[in-house]
Amino acid sequence: MSAIAAKAGADAGAFQPVPSIIALVLAIIVIAVGFVLGVGQTLCLIVLGAALIAFGVHFVPVGGAPAAMGQAPGIATGVPMLAAGAGLAGLFGGAWAAELGLAVALAGGAIGGALMMAITCLMVNMSYVFGMGIPPASGKIEKDPLTGYTQPEFKSQGTEGHGLPFISYVGGVIGGLLGGLGGTLIYLELLAFYEAVMPAADAVGLAGILAVAMFLVIAVLAAYNITGTIEGPHDPKFKRFPRAIIAAILASGLCGLLALLLVALV
Amino acid sequence: MSVKVEASHGGIPHGKIAAAGIIIALVSLYIAVIGHEVLGFDYFAFFGGIAAIGALIWGNSAIKRLCSYGIGAGVPSAGMLAFGSGLFGMFLGIAIGAMTSVWIIPVAVLVIALITGVILGWIANTVLNMKIPVMIQSLAELAAVGALTTLGLRTVAIGGLELEAGFVFVAVGFIAVAFMLGAIALQHPFNACLGPGETQDRTNMLVIECGFLSMIIMAVISFVAVSAVAGWISLVIAIIGWAVSYKKYIALSKRDAAAWLDAKPFVDAEEE
Repeated sequence: MSAIAAKAGADAGAFQPVPSIIALVLAIIVIAVGFVLGVGQTLCLIVLGAALIAFGVHFVPVGGAPAAMGQAPGIATGVPMLAAGAGLAGLFGGAWAAELGLAVALAGGAIGGALMMAITCLMVNMSYVFGMGIPPASGKIEKDPLTGYTQPEFKSQGTEGHGLPFISYVGGVIGGLLGGLGGTLIYLELLAFYEAVMPAADAVGLAGILAVAMFLVIAVLAAYNITGTIEGPHDPKFKRFPRAIIAAILASGLCGLLALLLVALV
Repeated sequence: MSVKVEASHGGIPHGKIAAAGIIIALVSLYIAVIGHEVLGFDYFAFFGGIAAIGALIWGNSAIKRLCSYGIGAGVPSAGMLAFGSGLFGMFLGIAIGAMTSVWIIPVAVLVIALITGVILGWIANTVLNMKIPVMIQSLAELAAVGALTTLGLRTVAIGGLELEAGFVFVAVGFIAVAFMLGAIALQHPFNACLGPGETQDRTNMLVIECGFLSMIIMAVISFVAVSAVAGWISLVIAIIGWAVSYKKYIALSKRDAAAWLDAKPFVDAEEE
């Protein structure tokens, strides 16, 4: 989060029907091209993974610079960094388990991402509570939907809340789970595709870096959708996720097609 | 959304910097190709680093232009998006070069990355409703910058642009190092220098310094893949370039810092 990043406009949350339909049509065309080239199934699973990532990013409580000063709830960094941290931890977890079959690898990826976010959220809350001496409190809701604890009494005046309330913590873990699952799915699909035509070491390297690249593209587009900070699944901004999923479907369809063309062409 | 904050007043306009950056990048890459294809040695591998620096100067100007609108996700996100989207163009460009001719690679990489960036910019501007006037152009430029920078750093590491020479680059994982070194060199300078006292020459000098710093690492890595002479040439040029640009950057920082310290505090109108 940079000092120059300004607040989003009021209309930034509106759903855009016309561009969304155009984007979906374009995505269908891209996937159809994939089927013509004989890589349709792989491309569909890559798009599914990207949609999971875009959805998962919206769960992660991101506080940005205000959170670093204890003036807003969430983890004190930007969306791309957090999503990349959680998703890449999951991706690496899944990549280690790639030889054990699809189900184990996907579970490994999801748990890796969730574990990374669980540890991050725990340590963030410890530094907030014991280091800065502030209680976790949400500024967007009256009662925590999961625990039922009331929030406003604990919120300091002049802030939007602070720390990580339980719902944000759970959101972070779910976000890590979905991000890790999506990232691992993309990696495994690319790996299986490349392994058929090139030596294993090249296939692992190529699939790994392209999965990371695609993850970053989707995470940043989701971050642009959130515009800055989000508290978790209870935040009103969470309702914007359909736009991010549509964006992710088209972006990953395009990037996935380019990645698969590498082999289809040579 | 479109609240424009001027980053730095005056200075060289974006179009000129972009043109200079793109020319430096393409010419340097073609010199590296000439060295490898026509003259038959890899001593010109260091021109890949010069190409990366040219692309980074262009990219820094594009980031400055994009982030002056307040994208809400921070300056580093733009760097990550640039390299994430640029990588697809780079790999596909090299694959096309393997089918046709190595001379096509730099232009093919540039064109494919630009197309990818235009589509991502359209998605961000319309589907995600960002409504930033320079979004499409900036994301297209940034994707091209990401692709050209990775291609340049790859040239430093392996001495040429061919697909065959590059397998070690991907299989051993140099690509991940190049990816992050390039992304940090792209996003760091403006993120570090932004603010009311930002001056264009200081930011650009930091870009050059970060570029040479990345080139040092790639030159060290390159001993695996290129001849020892070429590796030493790259390393010495990178270290000299870094030392000179670092010294100049510190001098510029002192110049701007002195200007800041000499500023008078605001005086309340009532006290006068």
